[in-house]
Order: sequence, then structure tokens, then C-alpha cells
Amino acid sequence: MNQLKETTTGKKFWVEFAKGIIITNPVFVLVLGLCPTLAVTSSIDNALGMGAGVIFVLLGSNIIISLIRKITPAMVRIPVFIVVIATFVTILSLVFEAYIPPLYESLGIYLALIVVNCIILGRAEAFAQKSSVLYSIADALGIGIGFTISLLIVSFFREILGTGSLSVFGFTLFSIPVLSETPMAFFIMPPGAFLVLGLLLALFRWLGVLKNE
Amino acid sequence: MEKENNTDRKSAGSKILASKIYPLVFLVVIVLISVSLVMVIGNMTQAKIAGQRDAEILKQLNIIFPEMTDFKYLDQYYEIYAGNDVAGFAFTVTGKGYGGDINMLAGIDTNYNVKALTILSNTETPGLGTRIEESAFTDQFKGLGLQDISLSKDGGKIDAITGATISSKAVTDALRGQLEEIIEIIKNGN
Repeated sequence: MNQLKETTTGKKFWVEFAKGIIITNPVFVLVLGLCPTLAVTSSIDNALGMGAGVIFVLLGSNIIISLIRKITPAMVRIPVFIVVIATFVTILSLVFEAYIPPLYESLGIYLALIVVNCIILGRAEAFAQKSSVLYSIADALGIGIGFTISLLIVSFFREILGTGSLSVFGFTLFSIPVLSETPMAFFIMPPGAFLVLGLLLALFRWLGVLKNE
Repeated sequence: MEKENNTDRKSAGSKILASKIYPLVFLVVIVLISVSLVMVIGNMTQAKIAGQRDAEILKQLNIIFPEMTDFKYLDQYYEIYAGNDVAGFAFTVTGKGYGGDINMLAGIDTNYNVKALTILSNTETPGLGTRIEESAFTDQFKGLGLQDISLSKDGGKIDAITGATISSKAVTDALRGQLEEIIEIIKNGN
């Protein structure tokens, strides 16, 4: 009996985890957190840094909010969520500034803006305050990784089209001969972000419609 | 009577939860925990953050002057020693870029020609203006004297980065201005 319960718990953990990556992908399905998606996806490095930051904050806030869910008065729950999230964001930004200053500089204001990222507040309100710690962890990891993958997809296209090459942490992976000499710098600029994200949203929507038919 | 007592005991916890000032107290407690946690982490990282910039300058000085054995900070510039000889000078420059300040470190030899230029920090447009950090741009300054440090369209020897003329110009003009001043100071000092 106990073993059965354990396996179902384990199964549900993975279900919650996988859900966040595809079925409720924060960017392409829930269409949440578009501000950082548009702003920091100009390079793969920034996308990875922002993704790691969001996973850390989401994990921390989901765990704490789930732990205190039974003693949190409904009346002040939103301010409590914001304080918890802001605490993790401040810790994250201090640690980034102290140990990885280049990333801290390139993420700039968007690091601090994780506080008001609707993905994190959204998961606190819609999931963590109603669910056990274990499932909240699964949800945080799934949504966080789903968000990171989305950022990577957008930044992959923007970096290749906008600079003609792809580099990760200073190592150039490859560079396209003609494109790298006269890159379409437009894609690195804000309008390029809207264009790439719009086309990707349309693509995933189309794939979703095809699948349902 | 007994029944009521039982309910009382059971609801002791929920009575606290239902009291009017409980939400206020709860929020205050959460804020206090949060503030103390952030203060602890802030204290732990403070020294590291302050040391970051100094360490960066020392590291860059070592790259620009591999022969450096010692250096002295003289108010506005660094005097670099290799053994007992002066190997060159270095100074920090701040330029006004497209998106804010660009901080740089420049090294010059004893003939006042540029040995190297390094961008320490900038807030330029990612992917465009930030390319001033790349060696393809900064290496152009190597070996140049004061008169050659301007963009090629202004008659100098520096090619601006495509799509980032303002950032390129900010770096070039700030370096030229600061170099002129530093040369003046060094000459007067001797």
C-alpha cells in the first residue's frame, strides 16, 4: 500500500514537472513573462543567465509559499508573495554582482525586474499556495526549465540572424561566413525580438492546432 | 458545556488565524525575516563586490604589461614598473556612450603610444554597442599615438563598428581626451 502511494506520488511529481515544459509552457502557451523574453534574448549567454535566475527564484518562492500556505492570511497573501519573491531576487542579484559581474551587467535592470515577473507571482497564486511542497518544487522546476528553453529558442534565432554567429560563454560555436560580415543587426534590436517571438508563437500555435485536428 | 470546551481547544489555532490583527502581524514578521536575510547576504557579498573592480584592474594591468613587477597609483594614473624601470602608464577612462557610461582602462608605453585598451564595463545596446568589448575593435588602438586616435571618418585610424557608431565614437573620443590630459600631467610631473 505504502509502495503504491509512493509510486503515484513520484508519478505525479513528473507529471507536474513535464507539464510546465510543454503543456503549460510559460512563454509559448501561457504567454507570461514576455518582458524578459523580449529584453534579454539578444544572446544565448543572457538567456541562460536569466533562465537560471528565474529557476532559482521560482524554486525558492514556490517552496516558501507552499510551506507557509496554511498560515498565510488570504487578505495579505499578495504582499506576502511579493516580499518572499523580492527577498530571493535581492539575494540572487547580490550573488550575481559578487561572483559573476559580467552576467550581472548584461542582465542589468531585468534581473531586478524578476520581482514583478508574472510567471513567478502567477505560480505562487495559482499553484504553490494550494499545493504541497513536493509538487510545488516539481512545478517550479518544470515552469522554470520551460521558461529557460523558450528564452534559448528565441535567443538562438536572434543571435544567429543578428550577429551571424553563435557563442556560448565566450566560445564561438560556429559562424556563418557571409552573414557574420554583414549581420542583420535588426534582430538584436527590440523590433527583432517582437518579430522572432511573434513568428515563434504563430508556429507553436499552428503546431498545436494541427495536433488537435 | 463539555462539548463547547472541546471546540474551544480545537479552534485555539484557528482563533489566532481569524483575529483581526493577525494578517498585519504575519506580514510584519515576513518582512522582518526577509530584511534580516537580505542584510546577512548583503554583508557576506559586500567585500567581494567592492574588491571586484580592483581585482579587475589589477588583472587587466597584468595582461597589458606582462613584464610588470610593481605599480604605483599616482592620483590620476598608474605608473608601471618592470624591475626598477618605468615600463609605461595606465589610466581609467569614462566615456558617455549610447546607453550610459563606458568604463575603460588604457595602457601606454613610455613614448605615449597606446599599448592596449580594455573595456571594463558598459551598458550599451546588447549585440551592437557591446561589441566595443571585442578585440576586433579594441586591438585597433594598439600602437597608435594621440593624433591617430579618432574614427576613420574623422581622419583617424579607428574603424567604427557597423551599427554602433555612437558607442565607437564615445570610446575613441574619451580615450583621446583623457590621453591628452594624462600626457600633460606626466610631462609636467617630470
